[in-house]
Amino acid sequence: MLELVQRPDVGEVFDEFFDAAGPRPNYVPLARTLASVEPEMLVNGVRAINAALLRRGVTFTVYAEAAGTERIFPFDPIPRIFSHQEWRRIANGVEQRVRALNAFLNDVYHGARILREGRIPRELVYSSELFVREMIGVHVLNDVYIHVSGIDLIRDETGTPRVLEDNVRTPSGISYVLENRDVLKRTFPRLFDGYRIEPVDDYPLRLLRTLQESAPPGVHEPRVVVLTPGIYNSAYYEHAMLARTMGVPLAEGRDLIVVDNRVFLRTTRGLERVDVIYRRIDDDFLDPLYFKPNSALGVVGLMNAYRAGNVGLANAIGTGVADDKALYRFVPEMIRFYLREEPLLANVETFDCSHDVSRRHVVANLDRLVVKRTNGSGGYGMLIGPASTSQQRDEFARKIEAEPRSYIAQPVVELSSHPTLVGGLLRSRRVDLRPFALYGNRVDVPPAALTRVALREGSLVVNSSQGGGSKDTWVLAEEDGDA
Amino acid sequence: MLSRLAESFFWLSRNVERAETIARVLDVTYTRSMDLYAGGAWSQRSWRTAIAIATFANPDTVTLGESAPTEALERCVFDEDNGSSIVSCIATARGNAIGLRAELSTELWEHINELYLDVRSQDLESILEEGPSRMLRRVRDRCQAIAGVTAATLLHEDGWNFMQLGRFLERGALTTRMLATAESLEDPWPEWQRLLEMCCASFPFARVARHLQSPRDAAAFIVFRATFPRSLNFCANEIHAALHRLSESSARSYTDDAEKQAGRLCATFNFADADDLFAEGLQPFTRRTIGTFEGLVAAIQRVYFPRTPVAAALAV
Repeated sequence: MLELVQRPDVGEVFDEFFDAAGPRPNYVPLARTLASVEPEMLVNGVRAINAALLRRGVTFTVYAEAAGTERIFPFDPIPRIFSHQEWRRIANGVEQRVRALNAFLNDVYHGARILREGRIPRELVYSSELFVREMIGVHVLNDVYIHVSGIDLIRDETGTPRVLEDNVRTPSGISYVLENRDVLKRTFPRLFDGYRIEPVDDYPLRLLRTLQESAPPGVHEPRVVVLTPGIYNSAYYEHAMLARTMGVPLAEGRDLIVVDNRVFLRTTRGLERVDVIYRRIDDDFLDPLYFKPNSALGVVGLMNAYRAGNVGLANAIGTGVADDKALYRFVPEMIRFYLREEPLLANVETFDCSHDVSRRHVVANLDRLVVKRTNGSGGYGMLIGPASTSQQRDEFARKIEAEPRSYIAQPVVELSSHPTLVGGLLRSRRVDLRPFALYGNRVDVPPAALTRVALREGSLVVNSSQGGGSKDTWVLAEEDGDA
Repeated sequence: MLSRLAESFFWLSRNVERAETIARVLDVTYTRSMDLYAGGAWSQRSWRTAIAIATFANPDTVTLGESAPTEALERCVFDEDNGSSIVSCIATARGNAIGLRAELSTELWEHINELYLDVRSQDLESILEEGPSRMLRRVRDRCQAIAGVTAATLLHEDGWNFMQLGRFLERGALTTRMLATAESLEDPWPEWQRLLEMCCASFPFARVARHLQSPRDAAAFIVFRATFPRSLNFCANEIHAALHRLSESSARSYTDDAEKQAGRLCATFNFADADDLFAEGLQPFTRRTIGTFEGLVAAIQRVYFPRTPVAAALAV
C-alpha cells in the first residue's frame, strides 16, 4: 500500500490533491485506488514507460549538452485532475487572454491606438527585439495572428490560478499531452476507475480545422503543411507527430519553393501548391531575404508570398512582441482596453527593470525575486533568487544594469504542489499548467493541457530542459444534468 | 511525395537490406569456420571473402591479421568509419527514419529505433562473450521484421515504391558481389554451399535441385530463378515494376532513363539462361552487372532526387 504524503512539508503552499480534511472531491476515487496499489507496481510501470518513451523516440534535445543528446521528458503516473467547472473557468480566462493578445497585435501593427492613448509606454514596444517592423501595415488573413498558443498558469498560495507567462510564438508540449494519456491508459488502467474524463486525442483534428480556417479566401480544401527546422530541433518529435496525426506533409525549408509569390512543395511529381504553413520555425529564420540572411532553415521569398496574401502562416510573423515579458504586466490593461472586460485570470506581480524605481528595488532584493530575460523561454537564463549564490546575484545585478530593458523580476511564487512518485514514495512536488488555445474562426481551448512537475525537491522550475517531468492532466467530463 | 522524403525512403530500405545481408554473411562465415574451415588457409579465405562483400572491396586486396574473425567483426560490425558496417548502416537507416517520422507507422519506427539502440549497446567484447551469432541473428531478424512491418503498415504508394527500389537494388548488387567472390566453377562444393547460404538460397536451391550438387546449377539458380526472391532476375523485375508504379506508365516501354535501364536489365535475365551466363563467363558477367546496378542508382537519383534542386524543380 502506498503511503500518501498528507500535507506538503513546505509552508504556505496550495496542494492540488489534499485540503485540510483529506483528498479533495476530484481526487477521492484516485486516493482509493492508490491505497490499494503496490508501490513496486507503480515503480516498475514507470520504468517500463520511460524505456518505452525512449524506444518510441519521444525525446527532446538539450541544447547545452553534447550534440544530439536525446532525452525523454520523465513521466509521472499520478494524474492531475480538474473538475469540469474549474477547467471551464481556466479555459474562459485563457480564451479571453488570447483574444486580447491577438487584438493587441492587430493594433500594434496597424496604427497602435493603445500606444497613442498612452496605455502602454511606446518605447517598450518599439524597443522589443520581437517587434517585427516588416509586419507594420501587413494585413493578415482573418486578422488572426495567434493561431496556436500556450498560456502558462500556476496556482498561488490561495489556490487562485495566475498567468505566469504567455507563449504566442511556437509553443510546444502538446505531444506530451497526447503521449501521456496514451501511456497512462495502457500502463495503469486501474487509475481511471471511477472517472469519466474528457478525451485529448481529437487535438490534431482541432488543430487541422484551425489551420484550414486560416487559408487564403476562396481556397477549396486547403493544403496544409507543418514546417520544421529539422531533426536536430528539440521539438522535432512533436512536429512529426502533429504532421502524422493531421495527415499533412512535414516539410523543411528546403522542401518549399516560392514561385511568383506562391508557395510550392517540391515533390517527385513536380511542384504542389501550399495554402497554409504551420511553422515551427522562429520569425528570424523564416525568410533569409527579410530576416537572418544566413538562415538555411527558411524559404526564400516566403515573406513576399505571405504579404501578397497567397499563403497563411500559423502563427503570423511578429507575434513575439505580445509575449515579450516586459509587456506581460500590461495584458490585463489590453483586456480592458480592447475587450472592455475584466480579466478572468490574474497576473503575477512584475517589476520592469527598465523603470528606474523598479530596477533599484529589483537589484536590492535579488535574493527574494525571480529574474527572467524578457525575450527568453524554456527556462534558460533565469535567476531564482532564494536558490542563488551571491556570485550569481552579483552577475545578474551587472547584467540588469547593463541591459535593463532585457530583464523583468517577479516575487517567488509558491507553485502549488501535487503528490508525485519519487523513489517509490508519493512526495509533494511543484506543478504548473500549460493549456493550449487554437484560434481559427474563433478561440478553441481543448481540454488538453500539459502539467509539468519539478522533480527535484523544493525546485520551482518545471521546464523540460531543467529537470522537469510531466503528468497526465484530466478534465472531468460534465456530469449528467450539469448541461 | 517530397523528393527529400522519397530519397530518405530509398536509403532507409537500402541500409536495412545491407545490414541484414552483412549480418547473414558474417554469421554464415563464422559458423562455417568453426568446423570444416576452422583455422588455416580456408578460414582465411572465407573471412577475406566476407570482408570483401561487406566492404565493397576486392578479396585479393583484403589483408587480414592473425585473428581473422575478431578483425572481420570489428571492421564489418562496429567500425563507424566503414559506411557499410552494420552499426553504420543501422545508424544511417535510423537517421533517414527520423526524417520520415511523420510518414512511418509507429510500429515501423519502433523496430528501427530498437534495432539501433540494441546495436549501439553492444561492443566486440560483449558479442564475442555471448557468441557473435546471437547478435548477428538479432540484426538479421529485426531487419526482416522491418521489411514485414513495412509491407503490413505502410501505404503501398510512393514511399513504399521507393523502399522497394532501395531494397531490390541493394539486394541485387550484393547478390552479384557474392557471386563475384566465387572464383570459378571448379571451386569445391562446400564453397558453393557457403555462397548459397549467404544468399539465403540453401534450402530453396536444395528443393529445386534435388540433391544435385552442381556449381553450375547453383550459379544459374542465384541469377535466373524468377521465383527466388533474392535472385538477380527477381530483383531486376521488382525494380522495373516499382519504377512503373511510380510513373504510372506502361511497363512495355519507358518514360525516363531509369525505366529504360531497368527494362534492359530485366531483359538480360528474362531472355537468357545458364548457357549464356557461362558463355560470357562468371567474372565478366558479375563485373558488367555491378556496373548496371550502379548506373541504375545514378539514373534514379537524376530522375527523382536531382542534386541541382531549384532549377530542376522549376523545369517540371
